[in-house]
Amino acid sequence: MLSNKEIVSTLAMVQEENLDLRTVTVGISLYDCVSDDIGRFKAKIYEKIVRVAEQLVPACQRIERKYGIKVANKRVSISPIGVVGAPFSAADLVEVALTLDAAGERLGIDFIGGFTALVEKGMTHGDRALIEAIPEALARSRCVCSSVNVASTRAGINMDAINLMGQAVKKAAALTADHDGLAAAKLVVFANIPQDVPFMAGAYLGVGEPESVVSVGVSGPGVVKNAILRAIQSDGTIDLGRISEIIKQAAARLTRAGELVGREVAAILGLPFGIVDLSLAPTPNENDSVGEIFEAVGLPAIGAPGSTAFLALLNDAVKKGGAFASSNVGGLSGAFIPVCEDLTIASAAAQGDLVLEKLEAMTAVCSVGLDMVAIPGDTTPEMISAIIADEMAIGVINKKTTAARLIPVPGKKAGETVHFGGLLGEGPIMAVRRGAETNRFVKYGGRIPAPIQSLVN
Amino acid sequence: MHKFVVSIFGADRPGILAAVAKAVSQKGCNIENVSQTLLQDVFGGLLVISAPDGAKPQDLEDALRADCAELNLFLHVAAPVSHETDAPKEKTSPYIVTAMGPDRQGIVADVSACLAAHGVNITNMQAIFKGGKKPLDNLMIFEVDVPVATQMETLRRGLQEVSTKLHLEINLQHRKIFEAVSSIDN
Repeated sequence: MLSNKEIVSTLAMVQEENLDLRTVTVGISLYDCVSDDIGRFKAKIYEKIVRVAEQLVPACQRIERKYGIKVANKRVSISPIGVVGAPFSAADLVEVALTLDAAGERLGIDFIGGFTALVEKGMTHGDRALIEAIPEALARSRCVCSSVNVASTRAGINMDAINLMGQAVKKAAALTADHDGLAAAKLVVFANIPQDVPFMAGAYLGVGEPESVVSVGVSGPGVVKNAILRAIQSDGTIDLGRISEIIKQAAARLTRAGELVGREVAAILGLPFGIVDLSLAPTPNENDSVGEIFEAVGLPAIGAPGSTAFLALLNDAVKKGGAFASSNVGGLSGAFIPVCEDLTIASAAAQGDLVLEKLEAMTAVCSVGLDMVAIPGDTTPEMISAIIADEMAIGVINKKTTAARLIPVPGKKAGETVHFGGLLGEGPIMAVRRGAETNRFVKYGGRIPAPIQSLVN
Repeated sequence: MHKFVVSIFGADRPGILAAVAKAVSQKGCNIENVSQTLLQDVFGGLLVISAPDGAKPQDLEDALRADCAELNLFLHVAAPVSHETDAPKEKTSPYIVTAMGPDRQGIVADVSACLAAHGVNITNMQAIFKGGKKPLDNLMIFEVDVPVATQMETLRRGLQEVSTKLHLEINLQHRKIFEAVSSIDN
C-alpha cells in the first residue's frame, strides 16, 4: 500500500518541482559504416542512424502520454567521428557533420553528439582533421555537438591538442559572431571523458560500448532544493549530515523514476538499456536551478565562501543516492554548474559574487567543469588554451571528469550579456584576468606527463 | 462448501472483529478474506467466508445478530454477487488519480463520473477533508484501473475539465512511478 504522504510527495516531485527526463539518448555504433569513400561513408551513417533511432521520438511521446513526464530532449550519440572518419580530410569531415545534422533533422531530435576525437596521448591524422573541421562543422550545422578529450589521469595532458582546441573554440565563436558565438556552446573539451554520458555537448558512444543502447539523463535540481527546504522548515536542529541524507534520498527517488522510464523507452525501441545519469542539470527556469540549492542552505550566493564545501557535499550525496537506487548509474552523475544555463548562477556571475577563479575551484568538486562560461571576445586562443589546461589538470590529478565549454563572445566585453536561447540560456560575460595577452607557457606544447596516481597497476 | 459475504457496520469499539469471527467460526465457517476500515468513528468490514454445505445466509445472519447483539451492529450475510461472463477480462493499467483542493458538494461525484465515462474502474478510494491549505489535509486518492484501450490524452482532458470546473488540482499518474520512487525494493 502506498501511503498518502508518498503519493503527495511523488506528485510534487513530478508536477511542481520540475522532475524531467532531460534526455533520452540512443547510442549508435558506426564502426560497421567505415569506408574510405566519403560518399559511401556519408550514405551509410545516415542510413544507420535514421534506421536505428527512427522510433526514438514516437517512443518518447508514447512514454510522455503514459506517465505524464516530459522528455525534454531526444538525442543520438555516435561512435567518435575522429575514429570512424579517420581517412578523411577536414573538408570531408565538415560534410560528415552536415550529414549527421540532416539525420538529426529527419529524426526530429534535438542533438546528435559524437563529432568527437580522443586525443589525450596523441593525435592521428583523423583526429587532427576532425579538430580542424570543428569550427565550420558546428557553425554550419544545427544539432551536431562536438567533444574532444585532451587529457586523462592515465595519459596526462596533451598540450598540443589543447593548443589546437584554443584556436578551434575561438574560430567556432568567430564563425557564429551573429549569434554571440553559439557554435562554441556546442563544443566541449574534456579530461577523463565518460564513454556513456547522455548529456550534451559531451555525449558520444565510447569504444567499449554495445552496438546500440538507450541511456537516460535525469535532472531535477528543483526536487533537491524543495526537499532541503522542507527538511529545514520541519527540523530546527537539522545539520549538514542530515541535509546530505535528504539529498541522497531525493537523488535515489529521481534515479528510480528515470530508470523506470528509460527502460520502457528501451523496450519500445527493442534496444538494450544502458545507464541512467542523474545529474542536477539546470535549465534557465525558476525552480530548476542548481544555484537556488546553494541559497536554500543559507549561502548568500553561489560563489560566496562555503560554496565549494557545499558543492562537495551536494555532488557526493547525489552520487551516493544514485548508486543506491540503480546498478546502472553512469555518465557524469552529480551536480552541474553551468553559468548561462542556470538563472541563479548567471545572476551571481553578473553581480560579481561568482568569478571565474572561484568557479574553477568549485569544478574540483562538481561533476563536470567550466560549463557554458561566456568570456570576452578578445580573449586570445592561448589564454583559452590555458584555461582549458588548468581545468584539465584538476580532472587529471583528482581522477575525475572535468570539462571546459567556453564561449569567447565576439565583440563583447566582460559584464555584457549574451543570449543563446533554449536550454543554453543566457548570462553575463565573465572576466578573464589578463585574457587578451599572450601566454608563452601553453605554447611549449608537448604532453604534461601522467601523474604518479596513474601508476596503479 | 460455498461462499458468503458478511457486511458489518457500526460505531467503532474494541472487540467487533473478535465477536464476529467467533460467531462465524462457531457456525463451522472459515474466513477467507477480510477488509476492514475506520472512517471517522464508523467501523466498516467485509468478510468473505466459506460455509458448510446446506448453510443458509439468513440462518448465519440471525446467529451473528444474536451473538453480537450488544455491539449494536448492522449485519448482513449474502451470497456473493459477481458478473461472471465468458468474455476475457479487459487489460488495464494501474493509475492513481489525486484531487487536491477545498471540499465542496459534488466533487466525488464529478471526478468519479468522469472516470466512469472513460471506462476507468476505481479499485480503492480515500477522501480526506480537514480544511486549511495543506495538500495532505484536502485530498482525494482514487486507485484506478485504466483500460489499455483508453486514450490517455482524452482521459487527461476530461479530468482537466473537472479540475477547472471545481477549482481542484487533479493529477493522473501511473502507479509504477509511485512504487519506483517510494519503495526500496526495485
